[in-house]
Formats: sequence, structure tokens, C-alpha cells
Amino acid sequence: MKTLDRRKFIKLAAVAGGGALMPEPLKVLNDAIDQLIGPKQKSKIEYVPKPITGARFGMVIDLGKCIGCRRCMYACKLENNVPDTISPPYIMVFETESSTGATGHFTSPETPGKGTTMFYTKLYKKRWYMPVQCNHCDLAPCVQVCPTGASYKDPDGLVLIDYDKCIGCRYCMTACPYNARRFNWWEPKIPHDRINPLVPIRRHGVVEKCTFCVHRTRKGKFPRCVEACPNNARIFGDFNDLDSKVSKLIESERNFRLKVGLTTEPRIWYLTRPKEKHMRWYKALPPPERIRGITS
Amino acid sequence: MKNTNRSFYVFIAILLAVIGLGSYNWLRFLTHGAGLTGSSDVVPWGIYITGLAYFIGLSAGATMVGLLIHAFGREDYKPMGTRAILLALLCIFGATQFVLVDLGVPFRGLKVPLILHNPTSIFLLSSTSYYVFMAILSAELYYTVKMTRGKANERDEKIAKWLGIIAVPYALWIVHAFTGSIFGVVKAREMWNTPILPVHFVMSALASGFALVILIAIITSKVEKRELLSSETYDHMGKLLAFFVIATLFLDFFEYFILRYSAKGEAIETWHILTGRYALVFAINIGGLIVAFLILLSKKGRTVNGLLIATSLIQLAIIAYRIDLVSVGQLTPLYPGMGELYYHPTFPEISVALGLIALVILIYTVLSRVIPMEEMPHVIEHR
Repeated sequence: MKTLDRRKFIKLAAVAGGGALMPEPLKVLNDAIDQLIGPKQKSKIEYVPKPITGARFGMVIDLGKCIGCRRCMYACKLENNVPDTISPPYIMVFETESSTGATGHFTSPETPGKGTTMFYTKLYKKRWYMPVQCNHCDLAPCVQVCPTGASYKDPDGLVLIDYDKCIGCRYCMTACPYNARRFNWWEPKIPHDRINPLVPIRRHGVVEKCTFCVHRTRKGKFPRCVEACPNNARIFGDFNDLDSKVSKLIESERNFRLKVGLTTEPRIWYLTRPKEKHMRWYKALPPPERIRGITS
Repeated sequence: MKNTNRSFYVFIAILLAVIGLGSYNWLRFLTHGAGLTGSSDVVPWGIYITGLAYFIGLSAGATMVGLLIHAFGREDYKPMGTRAILLALLCIFGATQFVLVDLGVPFRGLKVPLILHNPTSIFLLSSTSYYVFMAILSAELYYTVKMTRGKANERDEKIAKWLGIIAVPYALWIVHAFTGSIFGVVKAREMWNTPILPVHFVMSALASGFALVILIAIITSKVEKRELLSSETYDHMGKLLAFFVIATLFLDFFEYFILRYSAKGEAIETWHILTGRYALVFAINIGGLIVAFLILLSKKGRTVNGLLIATSLIQLAIIAYRIDLVSVGQLTPLYPGMGELYYHPTFPEISVALGLIALVILIYTVLSRVIPMEEMPHVIEHR
């Protein structure tokens, strides 16, 4: 028994030592072979459910309700296993002062990911906030320029990335008019207790972005940012369902979309802020648990 | 040549050292990720794409020599014939290597034209065209060397001639104009999205590439201490180069003029970066071309010394143009709230780029000694 243990220990030590001492050129060679013929990760098959026929997902963001707390940003970061090295995460929130026009923070003033995150709790009437993220365009320039077909548009309206096909050329990042895409400049390191097992962890060298939480929305649940919003500024739903809340909201005369002149047909509609006196803390209603009509 | 043996080996040793440093840093990219570069999510393309654009451009002018020899019967260009093909081949090879080091998952990138492909991507089109261009140039090199060795039959000579001729429209239309279109089709970026860009790209490519051929001819003459080309040929080269330079300047002028005049939100921002933070690069681009053109206009400027200055200036100016094209095009913020964006290349990033350039120079230096470049006995008999 003792000898077996020792043998086992030596074996383990050898494997561990070999792994640690494996010279870098060998690691690179190993990685190169993986890239060329290597095992296909199960990312696409396992984590991305099949597109829902007949649905057309989209989002409405009511700027009148956005208080700039950035809860969506952090919730998204945790949900989608976004490493700290990717900053800003998928959602950026710009702060704008109504008197001076566009100013504000490119990233949040509080550095995310260090364990403590502060939220704005006060409502600044003089400021307003502009959350931006991937618009899941119908005529997405990133899908058009991708040389490998790693970026693709699904019939239910989502623009997704196949991490097993992405070669990291970053053409999509220069082509995106909304600056929505992020590149894994470093090997992503996420603490074990923070990993969401439903979402794959990307390797370094591939591009990623907002997926409208594909692993949730295609099962009928709302994206995490929608759930995290304390003021219901984000409304997500199926535009093909004419009775859905989103379909009714975009009939409002306050609606606009970003950079429509580029004919990218974004799928995020914004509602401009109403007059200042109407600004208030809306009573935070719990959002409905599931998207209407989507069952699977 | 024997006197230069020692300095030759020192030169090779320096090149090898630069390549070694570059490969070491590229290895670090492969293991740790491309975060060691100065690029970021807002400025995703750095000096490697600049290098791609510059090296692709260099290969254009080199093919022009083939056209002059085979289609226009300028026999006096013959000493540069094989060298120009080799230069074009190595420049396009260097350009593909710049893409390779830029990729996040480089070895998967090798799958691109055959296994992974999306027909709407300009990258697919351009990368395929680079491979085809390399094949054309290799074939041309093979048949030209066969001719130089005197082992070619009539059919080989015909093939070499026609390859030399079709290489030019193929290079200009497919390789260069579509490389320009990589930037031209990006509607998100105001500075890139203009139909003039492919034309501008081809013209600046001709200027820098043809200047490189002249530069190499002069350097080879100086190193080997003999006159490779006659002064008449230099004069003719200077005139041709002057045309390419003025055409590039013309396109430069109208591209920036319309950018400034239209004064769309992002265009004006781009103009401010061009004339503000990047004023020095902008000045080198425009000023270098103007000075080079003035040198080339005078008869004295079209001699060896004048051409040496003019062609070096053109190289600097076109590198500056490529920097402006790639970096300033991306530095324009896409949202008003983003503030000023910056891109500073880091030392490892630069060392990899220098390593690649050294690799191209090394391969050229070695191959130009191994492959017979001109019909030597013929030349010696005449002296």
C-alpha cells in the first residue's frame, strides 16, 4: 500500500513537474497542433441552444429610466465569465451632462472586478446615461467582414461568435461602428468561485462580445442585464410577438437607434429621456420571469 | 567581393540577432496573449497591419520592372529583372508574416482560404490573392533563373515573359486594390470609407515599390563596387518614379481635402488628429513626397546620389502614410464620450516587427548570392 502511494506520488510529481517545466516552445507546438487539427471545444454544441424559430429578439433601453448605476455591466461580467483583463466589459455606460453635452466616462469610475463594486444610488437629475453594447444588427458589418465565418447571424436575431473558428484577426472589431467587440489580449483568468458553468471560457486570441445571454434567452429567460436593472430601463423581448412589451414600446415617438445612417439595422432601440420633471425613481417592479411565448 | 566578406558576416550576425529577439517576443505572444502589444479594444490594429500595408505596397513596384522588360522592351532594366521578382516575392511573403504575427490564433489562421471561409470577407479575398500572387512570382522566378542559366527553351522564355506581364495587372487590381479595400469597405471609420482608397493604395504602392527597386539597385552597385545600371536607366527610372510620386501626392491632396471640407463629425475629428498629435507623421508623408518630387524633377536629381536621397525619402513618406492610414483611422472615437484614444507600440511589438523585416532582408541577402541574378559572363565580356 505504501509503495503504491509512493509510486503514485512519483508519477503525479513527474506529470506535474513535466507540465510546469515543459519548455515554452513545446507548449507553443502543442497549442499549434491544437489550433490546426486539435479537439474541437464543445462550446458551440453544448452552450448555444438551437435558434428559436419564429422569434426575433431585441431590446429597448429607456434612457429616461437609466440611472447610470452600472449594475447591468457587472451582472453581465459575472454572467458571461468576462475576465478582469477585458475592460470595459461588454456593456459601456456613458455619462452625459445635459448642459455640456457629451462628456463622461469611457469606463466606469469604479474599477470593476476587484471584489468591491460601488453603485450609484443617488439620482442626478442633471446627468443622463447612455448604456451601449452589441446591437445585434440585422445587417451586421462584423458578420460581413469575418474571414472565417466565426461571426454569424442567427434567424432569431442574435449575432454570435463561434470561438472554435475565430482566428483573432480583429477585422470585426475595426468594422463594428458600435465598439461592441472585445479581444482576449491575455489568457483569461477567472476565480473558480466566479465561473458560470453555462458559459464557455474563451482562450486568448479570440474575439467575444454580448450574446444577449444566448444560453438564457433561448430557454425563455431574460438576459442577465435585464434582470439586474433596478429601474426596469431595459426591456427585452420578441419583436415578432406583436403584443409583447418591446413591440409596443417602439411605437413610442421617443424611439431612436444608434447610427442608423450606416444601415446596420441595429436591434436595440432606445427611448430618449422625457422632460426633466418626469424623471424619478420608478417603482422597481420585478420583471416577468420568462419571455412571453418562448418555451424550451 | 572577397574584401567585404567580414562585414558581410557581421551584417548577417546582426540580422540573426534581431530575428532572434523578435522570435523570442513572438513566442511570448503565443504563450501569454497579444496583450504585450500596444493595441487595445478601441484601437485593435497596430503596427503589424501597418507593416502588412507597407510590404504589400512594396511588391507592386517590383513587378513593374518585369513589365518594362517584357512588354516595353527596356533591355537595360535586365540586371534588375530577377532581383525585382525576388523582391516582390519576399515582400509579399513578409506581408503574410505580418498578418500571421498579428493574428490571435495564428495557426488556425493557416486554415483560412481552404477550410474556413466566408465569401463576403475582403480578408478572405486578399489572403487568397496573396497566395496566388506568391505562386505566380515563384513560377516567374523559376523560369527567369532558368533563362539566366541558359537552360531555357523557347517555351520557357515565353512563359517567363507572359508571367511577367500578367503579374502587373494581377498585382495592381487584385492584390493591391483589394488590400486597399480592406480599409475602404469599413463604413464604421470615416477616414477609411472612401472609394478613393484602393486607388490611393495602388498609387502609393507603385511609388514605394519602384523606389525600393531603385534603392536596391544603388545599394547592390555600392556593395559590389560596380555599375549595375547605366546612368540613362537611372534617368528613366527617376522620371517614372516622379510620375508615381506626383500621382500619389495628387490623391493625397484630394483625399484629405474632401475629408476636411466635408467636415462631418468624425471626419473633422480625424483631421484634428492628423494635424495635431500626428502632425509630424503627416508632415513626413506630404513633405517627403514633395521634396522627393522636386529632387526627381531636376536632371541632377536623377543620378545615383539624388535618387538615393529621393527613394529613401519616399520610403519614409509612404511608411508615414501607412501609419496615418491604419492608426489615425482607428483613433477617431466612435462615441463622443470616449475621449482621446491612444496607441503606442510597445517594445516587444516593435521588436517582432523589426525581426520580420530582418528576416526578409536576410532571405534576400542569402538568396541573391545563391541564385544567379544576371548573366555574369555576358556582362564581363562587355567590359
